[in-house]
Amino acid sequence: MKIYLALTVASLKMYFRNKQALFWALFFPLLIMIIFGMMNFDKYDSPNVGIYDAANNDASQALIEALKGNSDQKLLSVSTGTLDELHHELEFGSSRAVIEIPANYGIPGEFAEIKFTYDERFQQERAVIATILEKVTDAVFKETAQVPDEYRVENAIGISDSVITGQGQGFKAWLIPGVAAMAIMQTGLFTVVFTLVRFKSQGVLRRLKATPIGAAHFLAGQLTTKAIVVVLQTYVLVIVGAIVLGVSIGGGRLGAWFDLTILALLGGALFIAIGLAVSGWAKNEETAAPIANIITMPMMFLSGVFFPLSVMPDWLTRWSQYLPLTYLADGMRAITVEGAAITTLGNELIGLGVWIVISFAIAIKMFRWE
Amino acid sequence: MTTATDPVIVAKDLRKKYGDITAVNGISFEVRHGEVFGMLGPNGAGKTTTIEILEGMRDADSGDAIINGVNVKDDPTAVKAMIGVQLQQNAFFDKLKLSEIVDLYAKLYLAKVDPVEILSRVGLDNRKNAQYAELSGGQKQRLSIAVALVNDPVVLFLDEPTTGLDPQARRQLWELVRKIQAGGATIVLTTHYMEEAEELCDRIAVVENGEIIALDTPDALIDQLLSTGFKPEKRVREATLDDVFLNLTGHDLRD
Repeated sequence: MKIYLALTVASLKMYFRNKQALFWALFFPLLIMIIFGMMNFDKYDSPNVGIYDAANNDASQALIEALKGNSDQKLLSVSTGTLDELHHELEFGSSRAVIEIPANYGIPGEFAEIKFTYDERFQQERAVIATILEKVTDAVFKETAQVPDEYRVENAIGISDSVITGQGQGFKAWLIPGVAAMAIMQTGLFTVVFTLVRFKSQGVLRRLKATPIGAAHFLAGQLTTKAIVVVLQTYVLVIVGAIVLGVSIGGGRLGAWFDLTILALLGGALFIAIGLAVSGWAKNEETAAPIANIITMPMMFLSGVFFPLSVMPDWLTRWSQYLPLTYLADGMRAITVEGAAITTLGNELIGLGVWIVISFAIAIKMFRWE
Repeated sequence: MTTATDPVIVAKDLRKKYGDITAVNGISFEVRHGEVFGMLGPNGAGKTTTIEILEGMRDADSGDAIINGVNVKDDPTAVKAMIGVQLQQNAFFDKLKLSEIVDLYAKLYLAKVDPVEILSRVGLDNRKNAQYAELSGGQKQRLSIAVALVNDPVVLFLDEPTTGLDPQARRQLWELVRKIQAGGATIVLTTHYMEEAEELCDRIAVVENGEIIALDTPDALIDQLLSTGFKPEKRVREATLDDVFLNLTGHDLRD
């Protein structure tokens, strides 16, 4: 324990004295966050709408399909689920409206009232969605209704509005946790790879091998140091991002910071382990750098850091949803943007856990003193 | 309990192969308490491999290495805990002060030491706040000896401690080795410099192709050679070029 503490304290000192490494650990993620945050990607999206289908009959299915539009013209991005889930999405900004199709929709002779709930802060989207809803409902009714001509749509379907004030904050808020997750990956992996490979090629590790300590001591010290660094970095990025881009974190829930810390530690452990595996394998910086880049580059773009996975083709997301960074970014986003508690992130926690076990197993197998 | 007459190091028929290359081919010797034991030989003769087996850094294919009564292959950690090691390619953490490096290594041995006192033994106490990368070659070697002293070692292994140093720094290191020997430690060193071996070593093993081809005191080895009727090609003068250099540039250290 004393040995482990001594090694941890020493390597923390070394890390924080390395001003350049500190600078790069924060500079790039902040730069990316601010530049992308200033761009307004929100307006290019077809609006996300949650549809709750209580009727669940042919007529309601036809309506939903029509609301989605076709390949020529995409109208709404539709998500489905329980009413609670859909309202939660609206509340935290991953959708812009909830449309409830009542149970009696499409039943001849009944008056079906469709309930349309929107976020008052997004009037532009509300207008777009409301227009689409009105036009499409009308068109679908005329095509499918088995009723006399004089039976007018006004008599069969009504649309009632209801308003909420959500906490969703658009792309800026969406971006921050993604970039923070990416920074955990970069710091975790690269600082471990570069310090360990340098220590190895210089013979620092050889000298340590001549002392009575085991590799486990040394690696535990490294792991702790980098985990502390990763958590501090996450705090800085999220706080600065939130201030500069003017968004709130976790819907103001204080526990979100605790959850974020846990996720940062898990993500840190995962990428540090990958870094240990790479530095165990690589003999010098020249061989380590490309390998570290090959691992991190695809994840930067395939894990939903800058753009949602939903804009990528299905064959790609089928694979990229299992990437380590996808689990981390999704989890951190759920906490900071959607106000979720860590206990609800089963998928992400399992995904991270499996990757941690795999990476550590490889890291232990690959470690060499020289 | 060992006494002064017991050997502190026993190497028995050590053998080590790297693939097809035989690095160590049946090396046996003993080192007595308080002795400075030199291993000489050309590069690739097997000196470093032999020393690394004794240090517990490398496993021998066969044979025994016993340090202070402990067989290295039975308990390498116990052996590492009681020896001090200066490796041929030594490096220490950058971004740490010298005093912090010494302190860290002391803690790795769970030893309580005053880092500045250890640094003063090798004449680096005035550099205690410097970082490793700022040191000259001679200072780096002295630091690695300081680090090797943190656990008050029974045996100190010095692998080519003066290679690459200027004559002043070398002489200063010799002083240091004598001082450590006077403190009661046993020292095993390798070197390419014959005058260094003659100056420092009580006994010398000459290693060639993984075998010891001669083992005796420097004087005895020289006498044996002379007794064969050997005559040096050039008459030995009373002074050497080394003396000339030191006389011109002074004995003071430059770093």
